[in-house]
Amino acid sequence: MDVRAQIVMVFNLDKCIGCHTCSISCKNIWTDRKGAEYMWWNNVETKPGVGYPRQWEDQERFKGGWVVDGKKLKLKAMGKGPTLANMFFQPNMPKVEDYYEPFDFDYGNLAGAKEGKDQPVAEAFSQISGKKIEEIQGGPNWDDDLSGSQVYAAKDLNLKDKKVIESYDSMFMQYLPRICNHCLNPACVASCPSRALYKRGEDGIVLVDQEVCKGWRFCTSACPYKKVYFNWNTGKAEKCIFCYPRVETGQCNACAHSCVGRIRYVGVLLYDADAVEAAALKGDAELVEAHREVILDPRDPEVCRKAKENGISDNWLEAAAASPVYTLVKEFGIALPLHPEFRTMPMAYYIPSLSPVLSTWGDTHKLLEHGMIPALETLRVPIGYLASLLSAGNEGVIEEALKKLIALRVQMRAENLGLPADPALLQEAGLDEAAAKRLYRLFTVAGYNERNVIPPQQREEDDPQRRKQEAGFGILKKTRGGSK
Amino acid sequence: MLNSLIFIALPYVALALLLLVTPYRFLSNRLTWTAYSTQFLERKVLYWGINPWHYGILPILLAHIVGFAFPGVFKRFLGNPETLVGVESVLFGLGAFAVLGVLLLLLRRVNSGMLKRVTFSSDWLILYLLLFQAGTGIYIGYFMRWGSQWYLHTAVPYLWSIVSFQPQIDYVADLPLVFKLHAACAFLIVAVLPFTKLVHMLYLPVDFLKDPPLLYRWRSK
Repeated sequence: MDVRAQIVMVFNLDKCIGCHTCSISCKNIWTDRKGAEYMWWNNVETKPGVGYPRQWEDQERFKGGWVVDGKKLKLKAMGKGPTLANMFFQPNMPKVEDYYEPFDFDYGNLAGAKEGKDQPVAEAFSQISGKKIEEIQGGPNWDDDLSGSQVYAAKDLNLKDKKVIESYDSMFMQYLPRICNHCLNPACVASCPSRALYKRGEDGIVLVDQEVCKGWRFCTSACPYKKVYFNWNTGKAEKCIFCYPRVETGQCNACAHSCVGRIRYVGVLLYDADAVEAAALKGDAELVEAHREVILDPRDPEVCRKAKENGISDNWLEAAAASPVYTLVKEFGIALPLHPEFRTMPMAYYIPSLSPVLSTWGDTHKLLEHGMIPALETLRVPIGYLASLLSAGNEGVIEEALKKLIALRVQMRAENLGLPADPALLQEAGLDEAAAKRLYRLFTVAGYNERNVIPPQQREEDDPQRRKQEAGFGILKKTRGGSK
Repeated sequence: MLNSLIFIALPYVALALLLLVTPYRFLSNRLTWTAYSTQFLERKVLYWGINPWHYGILPILLAHIVGFAFPGVFKRFLGNPETLVGVESVLFGLGAFAVLGVLLLLLRRVNSGMLKRVTFSSDWLILYLLLFQAGTGIYIGYFMRWGSQWYLHTAVPYLWSIVSFQPQIDYVADLPLVFKLHAACAFLIVAVLPFTKLVHMLYLPVDFLKDPPLLYRWRSK
């Protein structure tokens, strides 16, 4: 057992209102630069929809992630030999049109235009070529709220039955915020010929070393989530850094901090690094279970002992024990990995959405039987759709999670209205009243410090004498012969 | 005078720049050490330009270098006339392929709004130099037959005299002008290499071939 710590985010999709505040705060801090205009390290998609970049889930086209080859994992795109052969032209790399041509508006013209008969307007121009754009062709959320669109939503690869979105009686809509998943088995890292991408041992954040990156571009397509971007100005790859300068000091990421719906939870998970490969080799239906098995119980004394041997500090172990992420992912099993079938072991988890909390039209009387909350069988969101997104097609896993969410709603609604609740419903879902109270608290009134349990890394405390005497507290450059 | 300039001054200037500027840039400004790929912005023409160019020029460059490093082996290898004809034909074909590639790479940057933003004077400079170099190369290959053989008896001993700091330009002084231009352009390319995106060829990704797929970095280890 090789115990390591990973900092993980959970998204409660039921609470996401699709306001894009997370995207804006991320953009303002990290990607408001030349070459990065088109990048959205955090983006929010409407589901059903094609997403950003368009149809990123189509691995037949972009060849991202891993596939099982006999008893081993291999990159879906290509092995090492072909990587060298495709260095000059990377066949799977998304092009700018797959994202969108970044644009801005010529606001200066509003004040500076010559006097004329017409009102001056701010025309759109391309942030790459600088040329005027007659008609904007796309944006980062171009199909926002178009979950019934035949042009966009119908092209969602998760939507097996396209008829669902053709009728007002059955259509549904949810939002899917996405950041880099900081995977346990990152395909981007494995694909890099320069070895510029790496996973930090201490907290599992995946980063691109800008000094080492030579711009070979294999990571941009190897990431099945399309969360590594090519900066056309610097000629190097960039990605979400999990706001590590904030997280290291115990502050929450900008996206999570600014979240209006308070849908995000950040915390520590302990996992067994020796078990990761075997877990990623499991069959599609067992992948969610495999994810849960890799995650270790932070209250288990054996796990704590092994963690300490690996240098995980006491404050990290305390944080792991208080982690809301552990509660949601492992203890209650209601937070699920996004597209686990890509086999990168993504470390961002999603609580599936009941939204809209409606049954298919015409079943109102059934609703009343169930206290206005639809039962699993009458829920409007197709279970198969959620399974395609969050459990590699295993509908059982989704049903388990949804049952808990529905039982929780029914229970709390009854409690709030002073009506008798049916304890059987909770029991059937595998919850009890105390558990319901805990989940209810996490979902609703939990404050910043309950939703985000982020242990500071106290880098200034490792080897302070040397740091202070040789480098100052600002860790600028490695000393000769390595850092220790 | 022209001979001294091309065959003595130029190679030493080029060598000095390569040996001094390259490590300086590596140590002080590694953030610019990339191939500056433009595939993200334009890929249709690039495909037909970049592949012929690299697959054409790399074997030819390698042949020049190996011929310089192991002239004896090469002389024996090319002693057989059939081998010589084979080698010359293949290299000529690759050369033509490379010229076609670099020509496309040059033309695709003309009148492309997107690429204009990422095209700087250094890009034009190296594209013209490389086109000229590859062009004079296939001209020599066609009109000054059996170059792979006489290269070993003229340019190679001359280059050895340069690197051993006893320049003897007699080996190459009487060769036709096109050869001298080819040599001069080669030295110019070496000279501008450390200042341009050509530095990408100095970094060959070989470590990853033997590394395990995942890379971890620890602060403490």
